[in-house]
Amino acid sequence: MRALVTGANGFLGRHVVAALLARGVEVRAMVRPAARLEALGWPSCVEIFRADLRTSRELARAFEGVDVLLHLAAVVSGGEDAQFAGTVVATERLLDAMASSACRRLVLCSSFSVYDYSSTHRTLDEGSPLHPVPDVYTRDGYTIAKWWQERVTRRFAEQQGWNLAVLRPGFIWGRDHGYLAALGQQLGRHHLVIGPLTRIPMTHVENCADVFALAAADPRAGDQTLNVVDGPGERIWSYLSDHMRGSGQPGWRLPIPYWLAIGTVRLAFATVFRRATKVPSILIPRRFESRLKPLHFENRRLRETLGWTPPFDYKQCLARTYGPAAPR
Amino acid sequence: MKAALIGAGQIARQHLTCLQTLPGVELTAICDLSPATAEAAAERYGIRAWFTDHRAMLEKARPDVVHVTTPPTSHFRLAMDSFDAGAHVIVEKPATSTFEELEALVRRAQEGGRHVIEDHNYVFNRAPQEILRRIKSGEFGAVTHVEVLICLDILGPNGFADPNSPHPALTLAGGAIADFLPHLASLAHRFVGPHRTAQTVWTKRKPSPLPFDEFRGIVDGERGTAALSFSSSSQPDALWLRVYGERMQATANLFETRLTFDGPRNVPKPLRPFLSGLAEGKAIRRAALATLLRKFKGPGTYEGLWELLTRTYRALADGSGLPVTASDVLEVNRMVEALKPREQRP
Repeated sequence: MRALVTGANGFLGRHVVAALLARGVEVRAMVRPAARLEALGWPSCVEIFRADLRTSRELARAFEGVDVLLHLAAVVSGGEDAQFAGTVVATERLLDAMASSACRRLVLCSSFSVYDYSSTHRTLDEGSPLHPVPDVYTRDGYTIAKWWQERVTRRFAEQQGWNLAVLRPGFIWGRDHGYLAALGQQLGRHHLVIGPLTRIPMTHVENCADVFALAAADPRAGDQTLNVVDGPGERIWSYLSDHMRGSGQPGWRLPIPYWLAIGTVRLAFATVFRRATKVPSILIPRRFESRLKPLHFENRRLRETLGWTPPFDYKQCLARTYGPAAPR
Repeated sequence: MKAALIGAGQIARQHLTCLQTLPGVELTAICDLSPATAEAAAERYGIRAWFTDHRAMLEKARPDVVHVTTPPTSHFRLAMDSFDAGAHVIVEKPATSTFEELEALVRRAQEGGRHVIEDHNYVFNRAPQEILRRIKSGEFGAVTHVEVLICLDILGPNGFADPNSPHPALTLAGGAIADFLPHLASLAHRFVGPHRTAQTVWTKRKPSPLPFDEFRGIVDGERGTAALSFSSSSQPDALWLRVYGERMQATANLFETRLTFDGPRNVPKPLRPFLSGLAEGKAIRRAALATLLRKFKGPGTYEGLWELLTRTYRALADGSGLPVTASDVLEVNRMVEALKPREQRP
């Protein structure tokens, strides 16, 4: 089996490539023209396909001999329009190319950000509501882009009769990516810990990559939407403590109850900021909730559909994140 | 009045947000080559119809005004098709890739009794408008010289200098800086009139995909002189406008709300610099607060675009004078042509 992986040199992508190789899948890695790959240490069997999804004209060639597409590419920085173009328009162009090929299967990397946290109570799972239109346009650029990327992909899959697996990872963490937006607000070296006992919907990058490789190879993933978290998640206070210790970054942690923080944000939004949407995300109630609302998260459907258990437990993940780097 | 827009990218957001606030203007259709981009804009701004083919949009929506906000090389074709459909055209700068195209565009507009308005947004920011008001009232005195300096880091990897995807502006003579020449020229033109001669220096300080990253120009205008500059290396980002009159001088940063005047004071001469300094400090402190507050809501730096669109629609509705006329567009772009480099590389 041969897989085409977009965003292959990204934080998740490089681990997905490794996980696919470990399962004996041939990999064609799509990376941008100027991407530097030396440090990744990929074996020579990884076929490199250089293209920019926003502009390259030769995307159809990338699908020659490909059985499954793992679409991980997304723009996660820059302005809202840059993220939309780099994530959504790029996906349109990629899937247009796929439609002219014989490839019929794809695995999309979506995100927890597509869920409407404000309308979700107690447990967030695959049945939780997504952002409605036009509310979605009041969210941040990343959320709008990921929401639209999933929408575009589902439409293509339906029109073309493709077999689509949508994986929605929670906060992905790993080496050099230990600090998560779910941890609250950083003030220099110090932290406002909002809702210190809230559990984080988190997945270690190597566990997450294992799910992608499994979904690419396992036909049971077809036509499924699966949340990807390693388990119920660590509590913010204890994970932040592990992160600060592991990364050697000392600082104070000030705990603030969630109800007090969201109450203050709501009051300030309605009075001082007069419902302005150009203020920082953490000061906009709905965006605040998407980062910090205390909910229960689980991976029951993932476990039941694919029989998956995380290859690494939390302690092993900590060691792989903050311990000495494994030799290549 | 029915408005439609072609090219739902970054600057389109400012056009659409402003149009939503204008009385008597109905946003009827939007077009983009990307179906998702067009549909998302239609949903966000409550626009009834979206298209991926501009000709189909023009035929079905029959707009009175078309906003062309695509990359510059496509402006000419889209504007011509819009004139064929009987619409006025508001086009982002630069209006066309070449001056010949612009002349053809203006000719076609005039033949059909339509208007072409190029976005000279910074001219309509509050600061230049206040300076122009004082010039008109005689308080400022005749303008002798104007300086416009844009300091903007355009060498970052996510914009004009993206190493993965060549930016469309790089095809223009002068590369990315050519995208800013209409700003420099439109401000100079407003204060010192059409140019008679121009001298330029185009250089490159740092390695990047851009052909040039620094520009200096001296313009001899009909009513005064202008020094126009663009610097990719000077920080922080700013758009400095300095206007020198026979009675007063004005300084503004159009990326912020800062505007200060220095002029005659009815005090003993040695005290004038002292009192001027105090007045300037007060104005700067006020502007600092205003700049912070405008980050929360409203058009921000694009206040001039909103003002230009407001005045344009008012003029189109009641037949009064347009804020940017065809001769303004031609004269500004004639100056732009004179500022362009003779060679594609330094």
